[in-house]
Amino acid sequence: MKMKPAAKIYTALIFLFLFAPIAILLVFSFNATKSLSVFSDFSVKWYRELFKDEETLRALQNTLVLAVTASIISTVMGTAAAVGIHRLRRRYLKTAYDTVTNIPMMNPDIITGISLMLMFVFVGRLFGLSTSLSFWTMLIAHITFCLPYVILQVLPKLQQMDPSLPEAAMDLGCTPLRAFFRVEVPEILPGIITGLMMAFTLSLDDFVISYFTQGNGFQTLPIRIYNMTKKTVTPKMYALATIIFFTILALLLLTNLVDEDDSRRMKEARSAKRAAKGKKPRGDSNKRGMAIVGAILGLTIIIIAAIGITRPKPVELNVYNWGEYISDGSEDTLDTIKAFEDWYLEEYGYPVKVNYETYASNEDMYAKLKSGAVSYDLVIPSDYMIARMAAEDMLVPLNYANIPNYEYISESFRGLYYDPDDMYTVPYTYGVVGVIYDANQVDEADIGTWDLMWNEKYAGKILQFNNSRDAFATAIYRAGNDVNSMDHAVWDDALQMLAEQHPLVKSYVMDEIYNMMESGEAAIAAYYAGDYFTMIDSQSDNVDLQFYYPEPTNFFVDAMCIPKGCQHQELAEIFINFMLSEEPAVANAEYIYYASPNSLVYENEDYIDEMGEETMEILYRFTDEFSDMFNQYAYRNLDQETLDYVNTLWETLKIS
Amino acid sequence: MDKNKKIIELKNISKSYDGVTVLDNIQLHIYDNEFLTLLGPSGCGKTTTLRMIGGFETPDTGDVLFLGERINDLPAHKRNVNTVFQRYALFPHLNVFDNVAFPLKEKKVPREEIEEKVTEMLKLVKLTGFEKRNVTNLSGGQQQRVAIARALVSRPQVLLLDEPLGALDLKLRKDMQQELKSIQKATGITFIFVTHDQEEALSMSDTIVVMSDGRIQQIGTPTDIYNEPKNAFVADFIGESNIVDGIMREDFKVTFSGHTFECVDKGFAKNEPVDVVVRPEDVDIVPLEKGMLQGLITSVTFMGVHYEIIVDINGFKWMIQTTDFAAEGEKVGIFIEPDAIHIMKKSEYSGMFGDYSSYSMEMDELSVVESEDEE
Repeated sequence: MKMKPAAKIYTALIFLFLFAPIAILLVFSFNATKSLSVFSDFSVKWYRELFKDEETLRALQNTLVLAVTASIISTVMGTAAAVGIHRLRRRYLKTAYDTVTNIPMMNPDIITGISLMLMFVFVGRLFGLSTSLSFWTMLIAHITFCLPYVILQVLPKLQQMDPSLPEAAMDLGCTPLRAFFRVEVPEILPGIITGLMMAFTLSLDDFVISYFTQGNGFQTLPIRIYNMTKKTVTPKMYALATIIFFTILALLLLTNLVDEDDSRRMKEARSAKRAAKGKKPRGDSNKRGMAIVGAILGLTIIIIAAIGITRPKPVELNVYNWGEYISDGSEDTLDTIKAFEDWYLEEYGYPVKVNYETYASNEDMYAKLKSGAVSYDLVIPSDYMIARMAAEDMLVPLNYANIPNYEYISESFRGLYYDPDDMYTVPYTYGVVGVIYDANQVDEADIGTWDLMWNEKYAGKILQFNNSRDAFATAIYRAGNDVNSMDHAVWDDALQMLAEQHPLVKSYVMDEIYNMMESGEAAIAAYYAGDYFTMIDSQSDNVDLQFYYPEPTNFFVDAMCIPKGCQHQELAEIFINFMLSEEPAVANAEYIYYASPNSLVYENEDYIDEMGEETMEILYRFTDEFSDMFNQYAYRNLDQETLDYVNTLWETLKIS
Repeated sequence: MDKNKKIIELKNISKSYDGVTVLDNIQLHIYDNEFLTLLGPSGCGKTTTLRMIGGFETPDTGDVLFLGERINDLPAHKRNVNTVFQRYALFPHLNVFDNVAFPLKEKKVPREEIEEKVTEMLKLVKLTGFEKRNVTNLSGGQQQRVAIARALVSRPQVLLLDEPLGALDLKLRKDMQQELKSIQKATGITFIFVTHDQEEALSMSDTIVVMSDGRIQQIGTPTDIYNEPKNAFVADFIGESNIVDGIMREDFKVTFSGHTFECVDKGFAKNEPVDVVVRPEDVDIVPLEKGMLQGLITSVTFMGVHYEIIVDINGFKWMIQTTDFAAEGEKVGIFIEPDAIHIMKKSEYSGMFGDYSSYSMEMDELSVVESEDEE
């Protein structure tokens, strides 16, 4: 068939649309730097990094174990179900079963996920379990959503099959069961294989349902990637995504091969006229299908084995932290978790296993804990969330006797508003919002205050936060008001200022700030000091990013605390103490790039050398006066009425 | 066939699905070495009867006996009975040899023996040299032969054939009829054959069982069934028949269409209303004045061997098959020999068949196609 030029262009556009994102991902997985805007040099560095990242590999292994088990079990169950439905005599029953099994397919994942989680928690409570979610619940969830797809593949094959085939087998001496395996299974095998492959792929890339049903110590790859979004996703994830994409592509091609084989065979059967040549015996494609499935399963098992199946260890510590918020051994850094496990084994003589899981936001973490479906021994939330959790009695008072290194935490990080009596927390990192600007585009004379973000000279070069709290805060700080005010006038006033600023703003952004600033597309943005240093590392040649603190400004603290329901409080405290000791604390500070409240860090010579004088000056400007500034200016929880009001104002601004 | 050895007996068998009666008190003996045909229109219960013998259905009431032993609950794989299915049901993933060897492998017969028996069977069905062929690439007739070979290879005592020739074209069907008959003779196995094709039944069977509405209407040899049909249904279903209302005046005297005829039947009550069957080939057209009855020719169709002539006698349309031509519109006389008249008792089928007023070739063909589709 010949295509007209317009049709050709249309097809090309569709392919471009479909595959451009993947092509970009592929290209940047080979970039030598982290930048997403500039391709500096070809390198396989991120692939190497990927294979050194044990947590990610473990997540990959978990994902594969889950996908293999879930797909095999759902294929067996789905095939049995399809056979059952097929054998129903009454047509209306058949239709009813068929429809009911299809519902989960139509159901939005998020609803399936929430309902499964609810069920697991409910049943768990019924049996008095403190943690109801585990590998097994996730497996059940995956089987649940794979099942209808298997049935959908197998049922039509059964319907195509001559119904007297199994009867013929029984007639010739097979028991019903044997007839099923000897005659029916070979006939419907193409459907079973396609079903198996579909289930495998679906399970492999499921995020939503897994997110709701994951339990302690079993994190899958999609969830791990999602949780990396507190900071930017590291390019090793591009590498991993590229590998996964090509694996899935290969799977799909193989599936189609089996299917095509099958339909070709059907065609042959129909035109029996051409029989005379009769070359290929028919068992062929089934054998090929089996070979393919065998190869995939074999490969998967080899990968799982290669990563090394983790044996359960006597003591497990469940740590729940932000993604990319600990030194993890990549790029020759310290692998903190492994260091702790090794140190503990040497010190106490028996092994400990840290199940390290990550979250993307305080709210995610809060929801997970609140669901009561999992228990963690250690979490690292931010200030306002700690205040909320303390108020809701979700935290356990720490036994500071087990944390002698607490003495190295500077005095100015004691008595912060979220934990005024220092009962629940040990601060981990903190950050201060400043203004980042490109010195090549911005006059030195204009800097120093919040006014820079309202300077008409830089119209179209200014970035503003794309979330209400942060955006309003810039205006309120500028006006010298209280960011935690309940007074509507304060917020109305801020809205007025944001509306004035609106025509000057290039765009309202969150994570895109990195690329826009690094490339010089934008010249002015407010962000955390630590992130400023990350940007400098990847800035383009013609960009010269600089930083200053306007006054007043926002502060945040992320602190380690132990949630109610923890299983090993003492072990968690030992872990906190380890995190405060010099080597891991320095490694983490260097890795995260936020300031540390730990004097072992900011007084460490190597650390100071590594950071450089200028960086130290910026990061640690507020070390001595921190508690005063923080308690006065940092965000606190707003009441619901104010929150709603602010959100309404924010909507008006965004609409205008 | 051995009249002394009943191989299968069906006793008082009834069966219904969802309140619809499919079989209604079936009584049947099947003798060893017999070629027995279950004949009837679609939905008459013949296939259900066959499946009951095969072990794929269980009766609601009544017993299935095999050599005198009750086998109601014996599953299909334990019965020494094999089936040739309507669409052959060959196993598409196995080649010709493996299809035929299937039942032997299930019985764990040694390999050399399998080889020997399969070769012998393929020779019997004239498929030597086809061993390695793919069954889906065979023609309909060849597939049919594989199915027969596969069903016979383990030497069952009874072979069930469910409309096995329905899917073949006419010529091939005739050949296969002959062949089936000779295979039955050669092997000495009892064949139970299901068909809705009366010609097929007449030409192949030792015994024909005519079924309708879940009941057996008549059991007999092909000539009995043809010549002495028990009721209007049988008379109409087997061959063509003119069936008219008559009154039995006394033994050997019957009145119909306003004329009293000599006949060869007796044993009816005086003046008993009866159904009278006259086969179209037994009616002679004679000059008007010589006829026992008089009528008007309304249509003439040339059929090759004979003409099919419809004659209107007092409003009842008779079909007459004759080699003599007569013209449409002509008034003719009708002559019927006494032994051409067959008298039947009135039955529930009286008045439903045997009038050719709505007759047309096209309708007949359509109804055949329909019934094939349904089964």
